[in-house]
Amino acid sequence: MATVTETTHGPHEGNGQYPPHPEGVIGGSHDLRTLGDKIATVVTEDETPRGWWIWFALGFGLLNGLGIALLYLFYAGVGIWGINQPVAWGFAIVNFVWWIGIGHAGTLISAILLLMHQKWRTSINRFAEAMTLFAVACAGMFPLIHMGRPWLFYWLYPVPVNFGMWPQFRSPLTWDVFAVTTYFTVSLVFWYVGLIPDLAALRDVGRTRLQRTVYGIFALGWRGSAWHWRRYEKLYLCLAGLGTPLVFSVHTVVSFDFAVAIVPLWHATIFPPFFVAGAIFSGFAMVIWLAIPLRRIYKMHDFITDKHLDASAKVMLGTGMLVCYGYFCELWMAIYSHSIYEVQTSMERMFGPYGWSYWALLTCNLVIPQLLWIPRLRVNEFALFAIATFVQIGMWFERYVIVITLTRDQLPSSWGRYAPTAWDWLTLAGSFGLFLTAFTLFVRFLPMISITEMRELLPARQGGRDGHSVMENAK
Amino acid sequence: MPPELDSTGRPEPEMWQSVEQWLDSDRFRELMRDEFPEDAAEWLDPISRRKFLTLMGASAALAGAGCNPSVRPASPRTVVPYVQQPEQIVPNVPLFFATAMPQAGGVGLGVLVRSHEGRPTKVEGNPGHPASLGAANIYALGSVLGVYDPDRSKECLNRNVGTSIDRVLDALRDELGQQRDKQGAGIRVVTGPTTSPTFAGLVAEFLGRFKQAKWVKYEPFGTANASRAAAAGFGQPVNAVYHFDKVKVALALDSDFLAASNPADVRYARQFMANRKVREVEASLNLKDGVGAKALNRLYAVESMPTSTGGVADHRLPLKPSQVEAFARALAAKLGVAGVTAPTNLPDLAKQWIDPLAADLTANKGTAVVVVGDTQPPAVHLLAHAINEKLGAIGQTVTFTEPVEPQPAEAVAGRVKAGAAGLAELTAEMKAGQVDLVLFVEVNPAFDAPAELEFAQALSAADKVRTRIHYGLYQDETAALCNWHINAAHYLETWGDVRTFDGTATIQQPLIAPLYGGKAPVELAAELVRVASGIMGTAAGQSEVNQTEALELVKATWRKVYDAGSKSGEFDGWWQQAIKNGVVPDSAAKPATVGAVKLDALSDKAFTGPEIKGLEIQFRPDPTVYDGRFANNGWLQELPKPITKLTWDNAAIVSPKMAAALGCGISYPWTGGENGNTEADTVELKLDGRTLTAAVLIVPGHADDCVTLHGGYGRERSGRSGTPDGKPAGFNAYKLRASDSQSIGGDLTASQATGTKYQLACTNSYAFMESRRPVRHATAEQFAKHHDFAQLPPASAAEYKDIRALTPGTQEDWERLYGPDGPKYPYPHDDHHGGEKKDDHAHHGPHDSRIIPLSLYPDYPQQVKGQEANKSYRRWGMAVDLGACTGCSACVIACVSENNTPVVGKNQVSRGRAMHWLRIDRYFSIPGTEVMSDELGGRQTRWSGREEQVQRSAAIRTHFQPMMCVHCEKAPCEVVCPVGATVHSADGLNDMVYNRCVGTRYCSNNCPYKVRRFNFLQFTDYSTGSLKLVNNPEVTVRQRGVMEKCTYCVQRIRNAEIEAEREFQTRPKDANGRPKIFDGEVVTACQAACPTGAIAFGDVNDPQSQVLRWKAEPHSYGVLAEQNTMPRTSWLAQIRNPNPAMPKGA
Repeated sequence: MATVTETTHGPHEGNGQYPPHPEGVIGGSHDLRTLGDKIATVVTEDETPRGWWIWFALGFGLLNGLGIALLYLFYAGVGIWGINQPVAWGFAIVNFVWWIGIGHAGTLISAILLLMHQKWRTSINRFAEAMTLFAVACAGMFPLIHMGRPWLFYWLYPVPVNFGMWPQFRSPLTWDVFAVTTYFTVSLVFWYVGLIPDLAALRDVGRTRLQRTVYGIFALGWRGSAWHWRRYEKLYLCLAGLGTPLVFSVHTVVSFDFAVAIVPLWHATIFPPFFVAGAIFSGFAMVIWLAIPLRRIYKMHDFITDKHLDASAKVMLGTGMLVCYGYFCELWMAIYSHSIYEVQTSMERMFGPYGWSYWALLTCNLVIPQLLWIPRLRVNEFALFAIATFVQIGMWFERYVIVITLTRDQLPSSWGRYAPTAWDWLTLAGSFGLFLTAFTLFVRFLPMISITEMRELLPARQGGRDGHSVMENAK
Repeated sequence: MPPELDSTGRPEPEMWQSVEQWLDSDRFRELMRDEFPEDAAEWLDPISRRKFLTLMGASAALAGAGCNPSVRPASPRTVVPYVQQPEQIVPNVPLFFATAMPQAGGVGLGVLVRSHEGRPTKVEGNPGHPASLGAANIYALGSVLGVYDPDRSKECLNRNVGTSIDRVLDALRDELGQQRDKQGAGIRVVTGPTTSPTFAGLVAEFLGRFKQAKWVKYEPFGTANASRAAAAGFGQPVNAVYHFDKVKVALALDSDFLAASNPADVRYARQFMANRKVREVEASLNLKDGVGAKALNRLYAVESMPTSTGGVADHRLPLKPSQVEAFARALAAKLGVAGVTAPTNLPDLAKQWIDPLAADLTANKGTAVVVVGDTQPPAVHLLAHAINEKLGAIGQTVTFTEPVEPQPAEAVAGRVKAGAAGLAELTAEMKAGQVDLVLFVEVNPAFDAPAELEFAQALSAADKVRTRIHYGLYQDETAALCNWHINAAHYLETWGDVRTFDGTATIQQPLIAPLYGGKAPVELAAELVRVASGIMGTAAGQSEVNQTEALELVKATWRKVYDAGSKSGEFDGWWQQAIKNGVVPDSAAKPATVGAVKLDALSDKAFTGPEIKGLEIQFRPDPTVYDGRFANNGWLQELPKPITKLTWDNAAIVSPKMAAALGCGISYPWTGGENGNTEADTVELKLDGRTLTAAVLIVPGHADDCVTLHGGYGRERSGRSGTPDGKPAGFNAYKLRASDSQSIGGDLTASQATGTKYQLACTNSYAFMESRRPVRHATAEQFAKHHDFAQLPPASAAEYKDIRALTPGTQEDWERLYGPDGPKYPYPHDDHHGGEKKDDHAHHGPHDSRIIPLSLYPDYPQQVKGQEANKSYRRWGMAVDLGACTGCSACVIACVSENNTPVVGKNQVSRGRAMHWLRIDRYFSIPGTEVMSDELGGRQTRWSGREEQVQRSAAIRTHFQPMMCVHCEKAPCEVVCPVGATVHSADGLNDMVYNRCVGTRYCSNNCPYKVRRFNFLQFTDYSTGSLKLVNNPEVTVRQRGVMEKCTYCVQRIRNAEIEAEREFQTRPKDANGRPKIFDGEVVTACQAACPTGAIAFGDVNDPQSQVLRWKAEPHSYGVLAEQNTMPRTSWLAQIRNPNPAMPKGA
């Protein structure tokens, strides 16, 4: 398959000559050219929509807030936050786990759904992967800045230096470092490899010399030869294979941060599956959060169809039920254990000073997502966006509830409370800024939907290959 | 046009590369798939895997080489050793000097002060001193910080402008010159009570020159009531000395004799608590390290504000302070003291106390004693003397000596005005313009004088007093109103002398030259005498004071004493020996012979104190800042007060019932919450027209209809700790307290809660044990039935074996420890348990053995060089006897001082960030009839029930539990540290490597004891020069972002090891062929400071060690040991000895 070399840009809508896509994953009536143009012109030609500016301004503003928060943090120390004894972990860890959870959907969509022949993944995988990268970047920031002496962060890595520093490999935090670093690296490579043919396409249709040069450099000399495609597809498949276990490993390892500790209710074997399900749950909520504005602002209804929203909503509903099973299990195991710490900490979680956050969590994660049983709501942009918002809040509260468990652990004399400070909030908001800024820039300068894969997804009669060349057309 | 579609629905290609493609045959498709023969090409890559790794390795090595520090000089500075070695000083080897700290009332506490290269860094007790017996209290331990206080007065002042001492003396000389004709009628010297023979002698000399001058002695919390009672009862103001080692039954009437506000507390606590330590191990009993459970002494406490004494008492009766006299009368009447009739107005519970209490006291004639607090009116003291006489206590458990305070000579006596009355007279004279010169010596009446005197106004009123000289360590409230100020030297900077509670004198020696060149009190007094001699001349019988150097002055005093006695040998040798020992031999006050107690004064109205009606308020010295003199001591400010756990503030303390009546409550803001932040209501207190708005703190066990307000807070001018940000910390009780309400005030009006909230920094506000039983306790009776009651863990029985595993389990060990018949209570004990858990050990057996092997933790003790570390290394361990802990917190201050723990301030404490490595957990309980049952905070008690129980505050028991790192053998903190900053040493210490710590705080989360402390901010003061000097150079000063915790004073352990290795040749060897470290050679800071000896530390591998004997006690247990942590620190359960005849719930 060759890239489109023509630079004529027709109307962005399909030409109405094709029957609807049999699986409903591409709307309108597109062929190779209209499809490529629709996606590519967003970055090469079209005027930046007003919606973009709004989101970018919001994100960039918050990013500056993050800068201020971090400068003061590094100047004064983590004491500017609300953390204390006994709650030595606060917002930083809550946010870390939350963001890393969000970062799961991207790789799940790109890798696992690819391997599972889910064609509907194609139009959302690119921005979901970008979301993963930015979310993991936001997440990765938190463990580093939450350290008491962040300038020594590299001591967590096995750096062979002559002062004999070496990580302590029994610590889940060490596992975390490897898990998150690996996940970020693989996700980045996966994302970039997927981008190469598209970058070449942009190079070819670039309107200005600058565009052609920059995209040309990043296209790494892609010429669309059969050798290139051959290697590309093979690599993509390998990365998909590599990414698949990572989806499970990362959040499993993150959950070990809690499960390995002996804090009551942290010390539970339910954590890994429960965390992975939660991660996918919140990740899909984030995909929905991004997909809905994207398709409205860029009128991408043809590519991000109701089918996509419906499928994402179903994943969310399913993983949400898994997560709630986890909540039930936690309680059940605590009561079944007869351990005074487990039982009483469960009671404190539900009815103690922070009981409101537990009920907020259950409302957001258990009650509200049940609305998704109604098919109409699954494709209703407003309803879906609202439910995804609740899920995000609920999943944030889940991590909050876990961290807050520290307020009342084994020894009552040390029982205390925790409240975030303005700096905690600013850092959280700032991480949104980092994410939004990065994501809006991504949308502006890179194709938010994979041109290559969408073309492959077109029915054969429209010039496509009826699916992913990597999977469906493989041997 | 759409492209043509082929048969498969694909668009027809426009061009063909071959015929096969045009035909699109199966063969072609296969060919296309096989276009890339699988993976053959990869091995032909020009860069091989090996080469890649080689290049990677080389670049990493190069990067590493760039980091090699050996290519740079280690330090640009040159370190030069002493060119001439100073005498006795070996760098980094501390020296200890004996001296004594003047406490309340001028009463000394003998101490040894550690000096590192000429700077005092730590105060320890002086084992040879009768008041110390080797331990110390918080004031003495904290006093070393006072030397380096950056807010100390650094220069003399004239109207707040710096001047020289000569200018001040000139002014003094001028003024004294003008007094010549008046015989000094306008001269007033105001001091606190003093026991210093030199100082008192010099002031008397001065008064001898000026026949009309007067000496006012005032201290806000004095012992005047006791003296008056003694004078009335025995005809002379004799000094009572108690012998608590002989006491079997004690009754404390509003007396906190175990707390640091009592100058003899260290000795009394040691003696009294020694008979409250339960020991079953034969070897311990032989060594008199405690007593058998049957021989426990018994303590009854009658008090309004819960104190340390009430906290450890077997029975505690909350009673309003004004009712104590009635209680004492009722008891005296019951005991048959002639001339005393029982009053009728006692509360019911108190009435029920009298019979069993009287019976118990009578049954222990000769070994019982009644002690009365200084705040009680003289009548109660007098009644106590009568009761003691009746009980045969006088001469046995209480003896009398001549007064410790030097009694002024006849000529002077009439001009010594003591107490509030003396200050009142002075105020009146000042107002009347009769005073020209007033000299304040280390007193602060502008702050602490009775409120109705309006002393500060009188002092500042339009220069009525021409010359006002203030001498003190701080430029305080009084200094601000004086036109001259002389900066004083700290007691660790000067020579002096001081007597202790029984009169034994100590010569104080300086540890350091005065940092800011201040004058010693004796030097000031000598200057006075010298100037006076110059003006008035020296008459017969008056001594010449030629010089004013403190050493010579003190020496002169004691040379006279030496000459008067029949001392053998040279004076210099005697003098050196007295200084070295910290005790002047045979200097104790002479025993006073007392006759029968005369009770005539009981009918005297003035003796019983004013009648108290309505709501009461009682004033007490603060448990940590005392009367305000320690207000700027950050260590003491940040020390949680024993019962309330309040820091940096005082509060109006009330009972839960009274708080409800006032509409006051307590809430815990989200920042810090129970572990630091308490939001209290404020009320307006009104006493005789004087008002004070104060925060209300609710303390269960407090008497109803009574407010306790501690003095010492509300300092307007003290320094950064007492007056943070220029605003006084706490509430000034002296604004309410008048001459007639020095200890108790009646007719108090307390408004309803004002609506304004006040934030208090209270650590450990959560006072329920929640069935977790961190403190295990039983009565002696219950203990006899259930010797293993403490082995009952709340969740599982795993610890039962764990703790046993920490103690040597061989038959020989048991026999040695328990005597020839072996353990009286062999383990495992197959008796029933009682309590909540009805399971027996047979049931636990398989359960427990399943828990322990299922651990992911390595088996500590580790294998080291093929040997089991447990056997081949020393195993340091600690045991804490909860039965002996009074919660006095001396250990906390000792730990702070030894380990350079930073002071974080009220704000940070309220955020739950106090840094103490050792904290004293305080729990309240209401023991039920069943062993270990707890009606407060038990699983079975609902919140509504708890509130009801707290309201019934009479039965509240207080438990103190020192809690520090327990050095788990399987430490949860160690496995979770990503950088290995906390690791286990071969001798079993849980080491913290500060340099390695990056501050993830995971260890703290995973520590079930929550004893790790994190430097959230830069807590250690790096910028204040003087504060650097107080640091112990053997302990790292921590940076921000680093975790820290108790190290078992590892520096002391290592020093002992070095010392033992140095003496390898001469020392006996231990089981592993190493030079033996003797038991007691390593003493942790907390252990050394503990007045009651509640802490044992040593090598568990040493079969002779005290800690091992303690751990072998049947009531030894590990807190949270069921978490499989295998704590090296174990606790001995608290065993009380209540009187079965007492009413239920008392």
